[in-house]
Amino acid sequence: MTTVIPFGPQHPVLPEPVQLKLELDNDVVVGALPSLGYVHRGLEKFIDTKDYNQTLYICERICGICSAIHSITYARGVEQLMNVEIPERAEYLRVIWSELARVQSHLLWLGLFADGFGFESLFMECWKYREAVMDIMEMTTGNRVITSMCKVGGTTKDLSKEHIDIILKAIDNLEPQVENLEKVFVNNYTVKKRLVGLGVLSKQLAYDVGAVGPTLRGSGVHSDIRESPSWSIYKDLNFKAVIENDGDCYARTKVRIYELYECFKLIRNAISKLPAGEISIPVKGSPAAGAEAISRAEQPRGEVVYYVKGNGTKNLERLKIRTPTFANIPALLQMLPGIKLADVPVVVLTVDPCISCTER
Amino acid sequence: MGMLNLVLSNFSRKPPTRLYPFDIRAPYENFRGRIIFSPENCIYCGICQKKCPPDAITVTKDEKTWELNVFRCIMCTECVSSCPKECIVISNERAKTGPKEYIKIVTPK
Ligand code: SF4
Ligand code: SF4
Repeated sequence: MTTVIPFGPQHPVLPEPVQLKLELDNDVVVGALPSLGYVHRGLEKFIDTKDYNQTLYICERICGICSAIHSITYARGVEQLMNVEIPERAEYLRVIWSELARVQSHLLWLGLFADGFGFESLFMECWKYREAVMDIMEMTTGNRVITSMCKVGGTTKDLSKEHIDIILKAIDNLEPQVENLEKVFVNNYTVKKRLVGLGVLSKQLAYDVGAVGPTLRGSGVHSDIRESPSWSIYKDLNFKAVIENDGDCYARTKVRIYELYECFKLIRNAISKLPAGEISIPVKGSPAAGAEAISRAEQPRGEVVYYVKGNGTKNLERLKIRTPTFANIPALLQMLPGIKLADVPVVVLTVDPCISCTER
Repeated sequence: MGMLNLVLSNFSRKPPTRLYPFDIRAPYENFRGRIIFSPENCIYCGICQKKCPPDAITVTKDEKTWELNVFRCIMCTECVSSCPKECIVISNERAKTGPKEYIKIVTPK
């Protein structure tokens, strides 16, 4: 006989409300049913009353942690729609800020994850390092989280020489600190005992259920939007996707840790190649009626897809957003059967659930 | 081993947090603190009201009032960059907290 136990919507490991109805046989999960909709805000409809410049600020507020990349992806979508070519410097600045956002997001996740398996001190340590990145954000853009540095046609802020020096110095400091964290997350006996072989998602299954981001790459599928032809700039910056093959919680953790090094490399390369010039161009007019565009980007949690459609006015006809956690929930449901109830929080955290994104 | 090092080294370190409100870090130069409006040059054209994403600004041309709902403003600086007369600036000074929701400026006729 099975028992159904609700996990969430309020649960200590979940920063945001989502409910999983867990079907248990003794204390082993045999099935899970998600129920979403606790933080639905109707943002895709809300944009009807805003013009395409104002919509950017709404997209930015879909999610706190990946806000920078949300706004960049939206801006790229509208730029495609209106055939706008943004200055090269703006492209590089966007990369620098999105990689900084990724660093802080992964550090935040590592902290929450450490808390999830009971390492309180490690949690504080990760968040302490993250603070350095948040300070850079505040110094360069004016805000810690919702940076508003992107706009249709380029960026609103520029990096000065001093800012660049501070960023480089902060990264040089951060790298050995992340190496320290890596020692704990990757080599610690207790952590390994808890994570290895837990919540396994095979390569084929990960592909079939349409997982994205570190969840997919942790299962050995080579897929990162930063390598796609639409993001040629990452190719110039010598980007390499991080892939792990085991598909368990340990592999997904490793993907995120190694991605941090990749981010540091990208930021350094982008700064060394940063061209001089304008940071934005004025965008006039409105998207043509019926024009459509799809823009994709790699967020810390995976691939985000924006679909925008114009209707000849300043307002958009349709905005559709497929966020990474939305794509990862089917994958999560595949990981749960067969694990113990006590391990459920850890497995749920490894997909880095962002419910505000999912429900928009 | 790494974890033990972390815990032990924490004994000899100062806390990384600040003793707020006794120890306040100076705001960064670029920090978006609060909106400052100077009515001298304002022509009450209403462009800032139109550009503002959360509709925080209300301008009336006839009565010459400019009103900002501070609780709605998201510090996006759209109004700062769109004002033709450069009446709106953003200061890096943190806004004081308080219950006052509106800043209303009425220019005497
Ligand atoms: S845009 Fe400038 S000039 Fe026009 S109403 Fe606003 S503050 Fe006044
Ligand atoms: S900063 Fe943005 S939200 Fe605030 S008043 Fe200006 S336009 Fe409106």
